[in-house]
Amino acid sequence: MSRWDVVIVGGGHNALVTAAYLARGGLRTLVLERRERVGGAADTTELAPGIRVPTLAHTVGRLRPAIQKDLGLSRHGLSLVAPEVRVFAPSADGSAVTLWSDVARTAEGLRGSSTHDADAYPAFDRRVRSLGRFLDDLGRSTPPDIKSPRLGDAISALRLGRSFKGLGREGSRTVLRVLPMAVADLVAESFESDALRAALAWRGVRFGSVGPWSAGTAANLLMDGAGNDGGAAGETVFAKGGPGALSAALAAAAREAGAEIRTGAEVTSITARDGRATGVVLGGGEEIEASGVVSGVDPKRTLVDLVDPVAVGPSLGWRAGNIRTPGVVAKVNLVLRRLPVFLAAGGDEALLRGRIVVAPGIDAMERAFDAAKYGRWSEQPIVEATIPSLADASLVEGARAETQVMSVIAQYAPYALRGHGAGRPPGDWEAARELLGDTVMRVLESVAPGIGKLVTHRQVLTPLDLERQYGLTGGHPLHAEAGLDQFFAWRPLLGHARYRLGLERLYLCGSGAHPGGGITGGPGQNAAREILSDLRRRDRG
Amino acid sequence: MPQRYDAIVIGGGHNGLVSAAYLARAGLRTVVLERRHVLGGAAVTEEVFPGFRFSVFSYVVSLLRPEIIRELDLPSHGLDILPLDGTFTPVPEGMGRPAPKDGNGNPIGTGDYLWRVNDHGRTVRELRRWSKMDAEAYEEYGPLMVDMARFIKPILAIVPPDPASIDPRPLLPLGGLARSFQKLTERQQAVFVQLMTMSSYEFLDQWFETDPLKATMGASGIIGTFQGIKSPGTAYVLLHHYMGEIDGAFRAWGIPKGGTGGISNAIASAARANGAEIRTEAPVTRIQTRGGRATGVVLESGEELEADAVLSSVDVRRTFIDLMEPGSIDREFETEVRRFKFRGSSGKVNMALDALPSFTALPGEGEHLRGAMSISPSVDEMERAYDDAKYGRFSAKPYIDIVIPTLVDPSMAPPGKHVMSCFVQYAPYQLDPALGGWDRQREAFGDAVVARIAEFAPDLPSKILHRQVLTPLDIERTTGLTEGNIFQGELSLEQLFFSRPVPGWARFRTPVRDLWLCGSSTHPGGGIMGANGRIAALELLRAKRTRAS
Repeated sequence: MSRWDVVIVGGGHNALVTAAYLARGGLRTLVLERRERVGGAADTTELAPGIRVPTLAHTVGRLRPAIQKDLGLSRHGLSLVAPEVRVFAPSADGSAVTLWSDVARTAEGLRGSSTHDADAYPAFDRRVRSLGRFLDDLGRSTPPDIKSPRLGDAISALRLGRSFKGLGREGSRTVLRVLPMAVADLVAESFESDALRAALAWRGVRFGSVGPWSAGTAANLLMDGAGNDGGAAGETVFAKGGPGALSAALAAAAREAGAEIRTGAEVTSITARDGRATGVVLGGGEEIEASGVVSGVDPKRTLVDLVDPVAVGPSLGWRAGNIRTPGVVAKVNLVLRRLPVFLAAGGDEALLRGRIVVAPGIDAMERAFDAAKYGRWSEQPIVEATIPSLADASLVEGARAETQVMSVIAQYAPYALRGHGAGRPPGDWEAARELLGDTVMRVLESVAPGIGKLVTHRQVLTPLDLERQYGLTGGHPLHAEAGLDQFFAWRPLLGHARYRLGLERLYLCGSGAHPGGGITGGPGQNAAREILSDLRRRDRG
Repeated sequence: MPQRYDAIVIGGGHNGLVSAAYLARAGLRTVVLERRHVLGGAAVTEEVFPGFRFSVFSYVVSLLRPEIIRELDLPSHGLDILPLDGTFTPVPEGMGRPAPKDGNGNPIGTGDYLWRVNDHGRTVRELRRWSKMDAEAYEEYGPLMVDMARFIKPILAIVPPDPASIDPRPLLPLGGLARSFQKLTERQQAVFVQLMTMSSYEFLDQWFETDPLKATMGASGIIGTFQGIKSPGTAYVLLHHYMGEIDGAFRAWGIPKGGTGGISNAIASAARANGAEIRTEAPVTRIQTRGGRATGVVLESGEELEADAVLSSVDVRRTFIDLMEPGSIDREFETEVRRFKFRGSSGKVNMALDALPSFTALPGEGEHLRGAMSISPSVDEMERAYDDAKYGRFSAKPYIDIVIPTLVDPSMAPPGKHVMSCFVQYAPYQLDPALGGWDRQREAFGDAVVARIAEFAPDLPSKILHRQVLTPLDIERTTGLTEGNIFQGELSLEQLFFSRPVPGWARFRTPVRDLWLCGSSTHPGGGIMGANGRIAALELLRAKRTRAS
């Protein structure tokens, strides 16, 4: 009899959610994290003494409210800050689109440039929320078992699903029409201003190797607003102390429930016997047995690198090897001497408290994506920046007065690099890292002239860094591309979408599972439900 | 007194003719009204230059439903499809492998080629020259795709259900599909899901490494769409083109004897034999309604015709926006119709040739000229061609699908001369306004196409006697296809099955009672398939029976 019911590989936020729920369910649970701290991509880094930045993810507003409540995260130290402004999208010409949490306020602001758009905005917001409610229900459910029952069951389950019916006749037709659409088409159905279209469409392409004209990106936008207060503007919520504070609260909740968490413990393989996962082996050679193994790392790494190929078998191995993980996201973190001046903000600091999105237009976004298709980073990347220290002074408490930190998500920067750093081997991100940083700074300069002179520290994380430091295959922050081909009942793979992955008693609880990536805790919570139902049934029944 | 019919079919394209044939066969007094002097819509043969006859628009056939050929007995009405063997992809020097050598070790030409033929063994040997792995994967890929096409084919004959309806009966045909899905292996199921959702490039990239192979195979995923081979959703179109069936052989393409007009004429002859009346040069300007029902049509001449049912084989936008009295249709429906995307993306260049062109990669005349010649040397070039179009320009280096019909049907040109058909992508209907419109760009577009082919066959320009350049605008003007979309609306995922052409209205009926759609705007989409026209007619006949009983 092994000491552990469940061993969880990786200590990212989803793994911690799973661990907390499993421990609360009475399972003896062990979490093994390779790095020195838990959290994975929900991480905070000390960039300079006393100055901390969100390392990768910078907002946490998509976290499921039920998880916060179930696990008592506020009791474990989680404190959230939601600014009034959600998105500030400045252009180089000094104009801007501003999306507020207040829909009416947003609409009024839009009226200056287009009455049509101002009138259309509330309806668009309602539509996103209404479809988002259905998608949230979809996200909370375990995808149907397509193998043994019939496809008809899946369709009728969907069809008869209360929430699908709740959409009404038009709504249910709309959702099926809209999900496979290109986000550019979706926003064009409602709005005429290119700047507004781009500011909204950004959420459809964020973190994906897709452009606004790619099919399926409308689904990304709608999924982003599912289960949170996003609406048309999208959520913008900061964790005090950075995203790492969320991870710390999750870890505390898991520990309190009885889980053990070990850091600096790299799992090098998942052991299997007779088609059944039996435990893990650590880098030092230590073997740990458990009744079930849960992988919080991405599905490709899990099946291709961690499990013996013989146990996986050639067919599943081939499929796992083809899981798409085309990372296109880079991260630039900055320490600034003081708050930069954005041309379009006119010194109004309140505008800078949300997500600052530099996406000059739909075509500009598409062109930025074009570069990535040919293995080049965009010279005009799309940028989403936040200045979390405006809402949370604790991030800069050790610094000179007026110091701010800025967290910048930059897209598109393809993991598989060709062309840049002439004369060097392809894919040489080492040589290209700072060049990319300079490119991102140029974009920021275009909307906030003089920002470069304020930088005291700069950290550039390429997709290769994301892979090396965080174990994200292909540098993909969502563990697997969020596309129609890796969605719902086929995320990560058809026949393996019910959190059970390839072998008996091997589970997947990370972003590579339904409902996908982002700081939601969704896959972790769903996986815990399935694991508990399996292990309880087998051990007690 | 207006003339009275049981059914009026608007448009004498292949789908309109198929509908008319089925209705007449069931005893309905049916008339077809065609705007032009020639029948066939986009499936027409015309003598564009004296002595040279062209399949002006659509130029090959593979998707025509075998049950239509059988039920209408088309061969006895003159249908004769000549097989088209192989796809030849020239690859420029430096892009492919060293030039292939002849028996004495001398290079055959400059550059390389990839030549796939219906003879499986020969194709696999050819692929092995490029990549042993690909040759092996091809052995697996082909049968898999045939299985997929077999599985999905019944869907071509289904009337799509309305997923929002509470009536479960229309869902029944899906039950059979669900059962056959269960019989697939898990891997086949997964591949099917990929086909429905992936880009054709990413789908193929799982199997193959040879760049021109992926580019050429992927090309069938983008034909007629405003998508690139890396755009999600294009793998489905790959499958759509795999469903073709001639004499039971999947993936076989052919050229109708006498051009694609030969198909239309055969269907028209079958329709007439069953008693249908067919009128050409009879443009319809208005669909008449009374109390929310279609009652007949008005012709440009002012003549009025009445009928119990009106079937429109023209596209959904032309039907409801151009032919209906403004304000006479449901506003919500009208919004959806206006949303339906056309976005024509292709053009056509037809050439009369003095002699055959010679490809540098495989000089001289040969079997390779008798099939399709595909200008698709690399995935990146294909994708860049799409990038040009996204921003309103025709491709500088377009993808071109070339056939020389005179090599299989010499009757199309004077002795010793040839006709060459070049399908070109991309040519966006909406040009960047800076270019001044298609009427100013037509010849520049034609020049770009000739120059592109000349990269591989430099002697082509000297062989051209005449050239007909058809831009998407020309296609729209001549055939009436909105925005020059050859499929009467994009085959994108949100415009398929129960969302084609409008969610909730995929069952060939429309909000206007007794007005039916039977063209390619409906399920299962475009191509010379005829399925739309057939299912619409059968559905109308069924409704008539139900109403009578």
